[in-house]
Amino acid sequence: MTGTSPFAVRGRSALMVMRDEREMSILRRQLGRLGMSVTEHDPDDLAAPVKSVDVIVLDADSIPIEGDAASTWKVDTPIIALIGIETPSRLKWLLDLQPASFLVKPLRSAGLYTALVVAFDTAQRRLDDAAHIERLEHRIRSRRVVFSAVLQIMRHHALSEQDAFALIRQTSMRHRTTIEQLCADIIAGGGMPKRTSRTA
Amino acid sequence: MTKPSIPLGLVFSRTGPYAMMAREMEKSALMAVDEINQSGEFDFQFVPHLRDPGGVVAAYHTACDDLIREERVAHIVGCYTSASRKQVIPIVERTERLLWHPARYEGFESSDNVIYVGAAPNHTVVPLVRHMLDHIASDVFCIGSNYVWTWETNRVIREIVTSAGGRILAERLLELGETAIDHIVAEVIARKPPALFNTLVGESSYVFMRALHEATTRAGIAIPILSCSLAEPELKLIGEQASVGCITSSAYFESIADPENRAFVGRWKARHGDDSIPCVDGQSTYVCVMLLARAIRRAGSVDVNAVRRAAANHRYDSPQGPIWVDPDNNHCFLTPRLARSVHGGQFKIFWEADAPERPDPYLSNLDLTAIGARVQKSHEMKREMKRASHLRVVK
Repeated sequence: MTGTSPFAVRGRSALMVMRDEREMSILRRQLGRLGMSVTEHDPDDLAAPVKSVDVIVLDADSIPIEGDAASTWKVDTPIIALIGIETPSRLKWLLDLQPASFLVKPLRSAGLYTALVVAFDTAQRRLDDAAHIERLEHRIRSRRVVFSAVLQIMRHHALSEQDAFALIRQTSMRHRTTIEQLCADIIAGGGMPKRTSRTA
Repeated sequence: MTKPSIPLGLVFSRTGPYAMMAREMEKSALMAVDEINQSGEFDFQFVPHLRDPGGVVAAYHTACDDLIREERVAHIVGCYTSASRKQVIPIVERTERLLWHPARYEGFESSDNVIYVGAAPNHTVVPLVRHMLDHIASDVFCIGSNYVWTWETNRVIREIVTSAGGRILAERLLELGETAIDHIVAEVIARKPPALFNTLVGESSYVFMRALHEATTRAGIAIPILSCSLAEPELKLIGEQASVGCITSSAYFESIADPENRAFVGRWKARHGDDSIPCVDGQSTYVCVMLLARAIRRAGSVDVNAVRRAAANHRYDSPQGPIWVDPDNNHCFLTPRLARSVHGGQFKIFWEADAPERPDPYLSNLDLTAIGARVQKSHEMKREMKRASHLRVVK
């Protein structure tokens, strides 16, 4: 796992999208104790908040299920959902926002730290997973290039498919590059590239 | 000789957006209090302490906190909306008090410190949708106010209807209090749905019903309307013509013929005037206070644990019929009914359950496959009947 430890909450910023003044004051006090900075956003205001924050605390009950209000909050920032009404219709709406964590109302001083840690950890895992998927998708997209390069090496060096691929794999390791990149170089250069400055 | 006093908290928003309904509920609570205080059957008297949160959600917390600290109440009757009930629950749970909640609601809650006297969703929306599927249509147009009651009711309708092979033709939502409804009336007239489910509340509903009546009359069409919230005082507000013919689901109608209800309506009219009609939420508030008084009498104490135990399974023959608290979830066994609104601001009951039904706040016993199969069967029977009549004609 990469990134900051999810347990390190000091110095991070939270945005409160809430209506109930009593619960807001509990949250303000508790976030302050944890060393986090707090900004507020009126749930009725559909304009997306300008300043980026590390976590959004969103009172689900303050936003209607129907309408555009939810799209404002379909963001990459992790959301901690505050839940009062547990009807399936409300929960389905909430699932679409993919909350990173949740707290059940009424709020107490306990529980917030857990919700923050789970939210930061979930957010980091999502970033890692997205990067991992991106790498895998890149490899899938490169399949055609790898296939062409293997064919070319088979023809040029009169090798079996297995041996051609083994040669490409060994060369890519020696060149300290990926198989996909080497294959792209093979196709671009019309053959196995010479050792370049890439090798240290 | 004066009887010993028990303080009783009553929390109703006599002012604010739903003041009309809350005033009806407070009136009913005070009527029950007077009856108990004057009755020889109870060896105590209630001293009501009234609080008006003005429909402001946060004010419910303050009102109940004040009743518990200052007036030392162990029991509170009140709340109308789910938002207000959710404000009160943490205080009654923390201080180990009981909230007696009269209004029907959308379910998915069960607090040890609330006695839910109003209907659960299996008492209201489920029988109404079943009736619609069996006797009216399986395709429905839904219109409602944009808040939790409509969202959840529509979800239940969608689940039942689609499992029976029907369709939700449209789902239109209006902000609470919105009265610009012409575009939806026009859409309904253009699409002529075989059934229309109305979960609008307050002024939006009255304006919509009037406009739709006018438009359907002009177009010469009839669209069956279903509701699980319409009550007698609202029929008056909608108006004589436009309010007639709406199929409504409720645990209470003023027209219930049982002697307990006729006596209750008689006492109500003697107290509030001949024009005044008790409605479902008012009657339910009266039942709350009566259930509480009977539980206190049975427990011999106001202690919350003792009262909760005494209330469990203790049958009361109320105006709406036999009712008792199910200790499994603190909701009530009660009798669902379906009625059609008629002239004179009244409902004519055409169906009621054979016996009080167990409350199912999480709809965990809702058997969708059984409803689907039943509808299939009833459609097959209708086809059979058509074939049979065809044969008779040939003969």
